[in-house]
Amino acid sequence: MLGRLNRAAIFASTPLRQALGLMGIVFAILLVTLGFAYVALRSSTEDAIRTDLKQQTAVFRVAANPETLSVIVSAEARASDPSERAIAFVLPDGRQVGNVRVLRENGQWVVARHLDYAPLSSQGYFTLTMPLAGGFLVIGESRAPIAELTSTFLAILIFSFVPSLLVSAAYGAWAGMRARKRVSALEDTLDELTEGRLEARVPDDTVKSARGDDLARIGARLNAMAETQEATVAALRQVSADIAHDLKTPMQRISVLLSELREQLPEDSAARATAERASEEAELAVGVFHSLLRIAQIEGGSPKSRFAPVDLGALATDITELYEVAAEEAGGALRLLRPEGAALRVQGDRGLLGQMLSNLIENAIRHGGPEPDITVELVCEDDRVRLSVRDRGPGVPEAERQLVLRRLYRLERSRTTPGNGLGLALVQAVAGLHDAELALGDNHPGLVVTVDFPAL
Amino acid sequence: MKLLLIEDDATTVDYVTRGLREEGHGVDHLANGREGLSQALTGEYDVMIVDRMLPELDGLSIVRAVRAAKVATPIIFLTAIGGVDDRIEGLNSGADDYLVKPFAFGELSARIAALARRPQAQSEQVVLEAADLKMDLITRKVTRAGQEIDLLPREFALLEFLLRRKGRVQTRTMLLEGVWDLNFDPQTNVVETHISRLRNKVDKPFERELIHTVRGAGYRIDG
Repeated sequence: MLGRLNRAAIFASTPLRQALGLMGIVFAILLVTLGFAYVALRSSTEDAIRTDLKQQTAVFRVAANPETLSVIVSAEARASDPSERAIAFVLPDGRQVGNVRVLRENGQWVVARHLDYAPLSSQGYFTLTMPLAGGFLVIGESRAPIAELTSTFLAILIFSFVPSLLVSAAYGAWAGMRARKRVSALEDTLDELTEGRLEARVPDDTVKSARGDDLARIGARLNAMAETQEATVAALRQVSADIAHDLKTPMQRISVLLSELREQLPEDSAARATAERASEEAELAVGVFHSLLRIAQIEGGSPKSRFAPVDLGALATDITELYEVAAEEAGGALRLLRPEGAALRVQGDRGLLGQMLSNLIENAIRHGGPEPDITVELVCEDDRVRLSVRDRGPGVPEAERQLVLRRLYRLERSRTTPGNGLGLALVQAVAGLHDAELALGDNHPGLVVTVDFPAL
Repeated sequence: MKLLLIEDDATTVDYVTRGLREEGHGVDHLANGREGLSQALTGEYDVMIVDRMLPELDGLSIVRAVRAAKVATPIIFLTAIGGVDDRIEGLNSGADDYLVKPFAFGELSARIAALARRPQAQSEQVVLEAADLKMDLITRKVTRAGQEIDLLPREFALLEFLLRRKGRVQTRTMLLEGVWDLNFDPQTNVVETHISRLRNKVDKPFERELIHTVRGAGYRIDG
């Protein structure tokens, strides 16, 4: 279970995603509120600076001529730090006084450094230019207060957001871990139920959470569902077992009575032959019944817990050897093609796989034409093991290939040959149980049945 | 042999007990699970035959209880179900063999005989014999009346299986299980085909037939 708690799984967990999502929303709200406050405060500060600039010009307006004004400006310039307050007067003859130089650029006065004074403000200036006493007076206030305002707001944003982001991410990760473990418990239980272990339940520590939260409720519901399912399956098993018992016991009696009857009749009499035929028919009925029950049991989720590694190569060797003589007696041939020395192992039930292969071979012997030429082939490809049984007989028309997999379905021309129409249905049930893909195809001529297993 | 039969169906009981007594066995019969268990725990038997579905106590519980009480008597489980799980469940509970209803009496009789002699180890035997047929397990040579018979490996295994159980009937399913290690019912008569091939080599060229067909049951080699 711990293997599942990797980093990706933590990030995929609901609590952490929720925590991070919530933090995103908080951040957005914070950004908007602080943004509005910042914009409002900034514009009022700018207004204040501009008003201040206008008021400052009042001092200079009293000077009537350029000389007086340049004296006042020089005095002001010496008293001011150009990085806070810039002041310059351009006389009508073009000379300049002040703590900065000003240059005319595109009809605007631009502030530049005066080498006798301290450097300029790095933040730029709010400037006010006015024609005065025949020249131009330029005064500027540093933008530094605005820059300070910006950095203060950024600091507020960072100091209020980063700690809460860290705290909530940590909480989210912790809650995610916790939930992840419980979700894993739910997932494990679901997996087990899917694989047919109906006795699987969600552990108590997940179901009986102190807070009775959503996961605990889901766990409890899952357990209730599994209980119902188990009870239903048990009831169904009981019913089918009862039917099996109720029908097989009379069948047993019929067989017994028929064999007793046969013994009482004189040999080579017609009555004895009838009794023998009746016995055979009773056996056929039992065979159909047996196969139907078996298919139902396999499809009803015969537990895979008994699965073990099976060497399909060895099994196919045994079974083809068993049927080789039968094919030869029928005037045909049966051969096995398999890669030498390759591992052809699948996870499965040897008995069922053997039954499956023997059904396929028997089918081919019966329906593969007058001299059945049968090839059993095993191919190992990447992570698949493919088993195919091919004959050179009349084959199965494409439209009927799905139908022949149905229980008791028989092709029109096969009605006279022995068989109960359950062989392929059983093959399909066994393939399904082993997660193998079953396909019927054309062998040009003949039928090819392919079963594609996941390799071990 | 002394046998215990726990089975509630009167017709099956009648059929089985009559057949077994004809073969010279002593048969005790009980139709009730609870009584059957107490008899199984107190009596001395060579083989027990237990039905799966019984009134009061089911067969599976009986087998488990008998094994829990450290009674090692071989048990044949009779069942009407015969599904994939049932067979394994039956064997896992401690039964030694398993027979699905309806069964031929010959099958039951052959399996009782096989179980009763199971512990006998024959591994030290180097040469198996039946009349003038000799099988050397070391050189893997088979001769009859001094004449060498050439057998394929599986024919050899089949003959060896029959010779080791000389005088006892081996049914088709027993041969499939023992010689091919396969646990299912083939629809066609594959075992018969193998037997007839073997006969062609072992019996046909000679006067006396050694491999006998037992009607409704299986095959047997006589000594």
